[in-house]
Amino acid sequence: MLAENKLNTPTASRKRKWGPRMWPYLFALPFVVTYAAFQLYPVLYSFILSLYDWNGISDRVFVGLDNYIQLWTKDKLFIKSITNTLIMMLMFIPITLILGLALAYWTFNLVRGKQFIQTINILPYITTPVAIGFIFSYLFDWQTGLVNLLLVKLDFLQEGYYWLQEEWSSRAIIALMVIWRNLGYFMIIFMAGMTTIPQDVYEAAKVDGATGFTLFTKITFPLLKNISIFLVVTAIIGGLQLFDEPKLLYGGWSGSTQVGGPNNTALTIIWKFVDESFISNTRLGYSSAIAYSLFVLIVVFSLISFRAMAGKGGG
Amino acid sequence: MKYVVWVILAIISLLSIFPFYMMIVMGTHYNEDLFKGIPLLPGDYFVENLKTVLKADFFRVYVNSLVVSISSVILATITSCTIGYSIAKFDFKGKQWLMIFVLVTMMVPTQVGLIGYIIEMRSLGIGNTLWPVILTWAAFPFGAFFMIQFMRDSVPNEMIESGRIDGCSELGIFVRLVLPIIKPGLSTLATLVFLWSWNNYLLPLVTINKAEWYTLTIFISNLGIVHRTDYAARMMALTMTTIPVLILFLLGSKTFMKGLTAGAVKG
Repeated sequence: MLAENKLNTPTASRKRKWGPRMWPYLFALPFVVTYAAFQLYPVLYSFILSLYDWNGISDRVFVGLDNYIQLWTKDKLFIKSITNTLIMMLMFIPITLILGLALAYWTFNLVRGKQFIQTINILPYITTPVAIGFIFSYLFDWQTGLVNLLLVKLDFLQEGYYWLQEEWSSRAIIALMVIWRNLGYFMIIFMAGMTTIPQDVYEAAKVDGATGFTLFTKITFPLLKNISIFLVVTAIIGGLQLFDEPKLLYGGWSGSTQVGGPNNTALTIIWKFVDESFISNTRLGYSSAIAYSLFVLIVVFSLISFRAMAGKGGG
Repeated sequence: MKYVVWVILAIISLLSIFPFYMMIVMGTHYNEDLFKGIPLLPGDYFVENLKTVLKADFFRVYVNSLVVSISSVILATITSCTIGYSIAKFDFKGKQWLMIFVLVTMMVPTQVGLIGYIIEMRSLGIGNTLWPVILTWAAFPFGAFFMIQFMRDSVPNEMIESGRIDGCSELGIFVRLVLPIIKPGLSTLATLVFLWSWNNYLLPLVTINKAEWYTLTIFISNLGIVHRTDYAARMMALTMTTIPVLILFLLGSKTFMKGLTAGAVKG
């Protein structure tokens, strides 16, 4: 219209013209549309399914909240899968966090070889979980596993230990797999955070007589608070969805259909979910209820952890 | 103290690399020998195992996985970059809501919609193909968030303004001025999407059951169950599976760090 001739400074024309005002929406569109189509729609659809009894073929029967009630009050295996997942998370999250931070701090202060140590420690993170599953089931095999061979040879054990068939050791090995895979990632993220801390803060503290450990506890760690929150929250979200490691440690390789490891101690929430919907059963409504229960758990746990960590120290 | 730190670092690094090394070494031995003792040194069965793997249709599966990962990377980076640019560099009505939308999408785990997703894919007639494994990356909330942060920090407003004054079209500004600047962020995001889609196990496990469309993870965990279980050949296949991501990381480890520092971490 008239405006086009009157003003041609960029801000003014952006206000008047129709075209430029459309651009931010156009740029946002691909994400919004693909999210709606391939994530939001399935998520809403799954919720509706969770209110039905359906095996994918026959007619759907509306059951209201029955699936949820049955899941939380009668399905002992579901409760067990939650406990299992939480136990394993308690095993691997603190260790990965502390060890990752220490590793990052030491590596960061190296004069040489920084890049080298980083590269080596990121290797597990890029290894496919299928490989990790097999390597660990090989390492901890009762008869031929490297761990048992070593322990027997060094006289720590009389005979091989059934690592993969005992309740606690099976959980510990899964935790170990997760730690082994994620340590390098935690380390790199921590180191990325350390590079954003200005060096003069350290110089000032050193002038004031601070030494290694004090520098770490008084400067490095507080300044890494946001990163620690990020890592803990993402570790909790990821941990609650634990599946690849236990599934591949048991059965991914041997082709066996054993579900859940020894006495179901390695059964995680997602494993239970996948098993109910695609492997042992096709109870699609019921397993959608599992997925939504997991969703609620994830929201609750991440909010709690975020509050707990962000609240501490008051910023 | 210095030496103690060095020793600890050396031990952890050794433990880190050991299973990785085992994977490579085990792929060079004759299968039955694997269970006799501990193979610490490379064996001489390398070529034979390689033959076994290549005979088993490995090439087609490899191409499948490449198609999946490359398409996922393209889709995810396009949608992430555009929405990142929109939120970070424009002022418009509803911007706050869009930002909240992205944050909420980050909290919704993909698994929640898995069953709905699979049924959707089936009714679109692409249930048992590579499409489900690709399209799940089309909108990648972490990528969107990462790109918002990255653009905010590294794309100067003056540059966009001067592009406008010079009469460059909005799309031209985005492609010719903005994209070159965010290269480190782009390559970080692309590397991560490649890695995660390459190693994805759950989704192909529950969607693909036609051998024609197997991806590497599913192919290898199914390899040789029917006939003799050849672990050595599988390790060989796994080593070959890891190589592309390894190269990606080695080539890009510096830009990768730079990208992480500028992007995700500050959030």
